Amino acid sequence: MSTVTRTLRNLRRVGLKDYFNQMMYIGDTKAGTLIGTDRFGNKYYENMTEELPLRTRWVDYKEHEYMPCQVEPGWHAWISYMVDAPPTADKLLQPGQRTWEIPEHRPNLTMSRAAFKTYSTTRPKYSAWAPVAAPR
Amino acid sequence: MPTHLRRSTHSLTISGKTKKEVALSHETSPSSPTEYTLTTLDKLINWARQSSLYPMTFGLACCAVEMMHMAGPRYDGDRLGLLFRASPRQSDVMIVAGTLTNKMAPALRQVYDQMPDPRYVISMGSCANGGGYYHYSYSVVRGCDRIVPVDVYVPGCPPTSEALIYGLLLIQKKIRRTQTTRIWYRR
Repeated sequence: MSTVTRTLRNLRRVGLKDYFNQMMYIGDTKAGTLIGTDRFGNKYYENMTEELPLRTRWVDYKEHEYMPCQVEPGWHAWISYMVDAPPTADKLLQPGQRTWEIPEHRPNLTMSRAAFKTYSTTRPKYSAWAPVAAPR
Repeated sequence: MPTHLRRSTHSLTISGKTKKEVALSHETSPSSPTEYTLTTLDKLINWARQSSLYPMTFGLACCAVEMMHMAGPRYDGDRLGLLFRASPRQSDVMIVAGTLTNKMAPALRQVYDQMPDPRYVISMGSCANGGGYYHYSYSVVRGCDRIVPVDVYVPGCPPTSEALIYGLLLIQKKIRRTQTTRIWYRR
């Protein structure tokens, strides 16, 4: 629940442009410190003192069609309160630490051309053929 | 690498016809003034639909507990416009949460038939997805997609409330791509 004084105070701190942007996406007026930006371009904010519990960390998505899968794994751990330190301070949460990681962050590609399709790895029991009609 | 393991990269389909790539509905952009108008109209309709998704309460097993958490204060489904309705005639989404038994299957189908269009189905949990733990049971339907058409499958046993919310966000994404008036105009 927001109050008029809180909205006005945060509006004075974030400015008119960010105010409209936040109302478009978050639906609330929040002021906090910019903790970092991930490789995708999402911005992460934090205000541990003034906001209510579980609303203290939030993300400003880069894309208009935003989805939570665009949040990178380390930042996901931070924004879900699994860890205290953001990936900018914790080396283990940063991308590129493990050899099996893919080089770029890949969001969930469902409902697109790159969506996962099941495929069989066993040898098919029958195969298609091109029928040939012999001339009579 | 054996031939049957290779992903098909050539331009022929499996039946030997030439493959034709058709642009997906959300990949095309409007060309005429009418289409621009209808696109805006569609956006309005989709916005209204996606921001008041009323799920049908169809809790069958332990997944229903996670479904209740999703509606509860921590995950707060209300902020997405989710409001659980007890009547299928008032709801848009049916969340099949839990094991669907043979005994329950006719009731599930009847509830689905009573829902007004447009309606969506979320299959929540591995039991509803494909039988799950009870796949070999004599009395369990092996996946609720044998009874109703499913839009989103949420994996997990049970899935977390966050996973269910993500499934609902995917439903919203699907709604945002619906072209109600544009399809009507094309006909």
